[in-house]
Amino acid sequence: MYRGREGQWAFFLHRISGIALMLYLLLHVFDISLVMWGPDGPFNDFLLFYHQWPFRIGLVLIIAGVVYHALNGLRIIMLDFTDWAINYQRAMWYGVLVITTIIGIPVLIKIIPEIIGGS
Amino acid sequence: MASRPRTLRDARKVYGNNAELAWWVFMRLSGFLLVFLVFTHVFANNILTNAGTIDYDYVAERFAQPAVRVLDSFLLGFALLHGVNGLRYSIDDYFKRPGVRFWVKAIVFTLTAAVFVVGVMALWTFTFDQMGAAVRDLNGAQ
Repeated sequence: MYRGREGQWAFFLHRISGIALMLYLLLHVFDISLVMWGPDGPFNDFLLFYHQWPFRIGLVLIIAGVVYHALNGLRIIMLDFTDWAINYQRAMWYGVLVITTIIGIPVLIKIIPEIIGGS
Repeated sequence: MASRPRTLRDARKVYGNNAELAWWVFMRLSGFLLVFLVFTHVFANNILTNAGTIDYDYVAERFAQPAVRVLDSFLLGFALLHGVNGLRYSIDDYFKRPGVRFWVKAIVFTLTAAVFVVGVMALWTFTFDQMGAAVRDLNGAQ
């Protein structure tokens, strides 16, 4: 149906990021909920584990997924609720990638030193 | 989406009610709201804060603010519903055998419901110490 062009990639990235975000969300709500066991409970040990660099890089990927999924979601809403947007769907997808990158660069500049600094 | 209906009876079952239309509308409405809710959440906890320093005190301080509790509650509800419905679409796409599809959905729905309950408990009954003290007071008052 999409014949492997931009629409197919827009769908594929939306699907992959969506599944990843939902799995992250389930884990995130669970681990933050460990605050219920108080300051001496398992919470700090859990978070300390997730502060290791592989998980911090994972979190950066999750943020990238959030930004892409949100912007492409807005593109989908425009495609569904306006007459004109469909004519620009390909340009809008490239717009989504450009804005994701524009948001992503300062986020990386903020977070990468934190990971390298080890805190 | 679900695999293509092969008989009129199947087709009526798939298209004969408005539940799927309601979910379709919900995905767009909740998605639009979530853009603002999630961006605020990520900005507060990853940009204004060094996420690598988040600990018990940080979360306790955040959950002590009523505005955070209310915002996070909307976030929890909308994100889990939006996410679980997205997973439902995905499961229908990738698991074709009815038995397997049933069990994968059963596990995903159960897990989501459990996480929702745990999340609501964490947001609204924050310290068990306080709850314990309240119970002790009640017992002491008798």
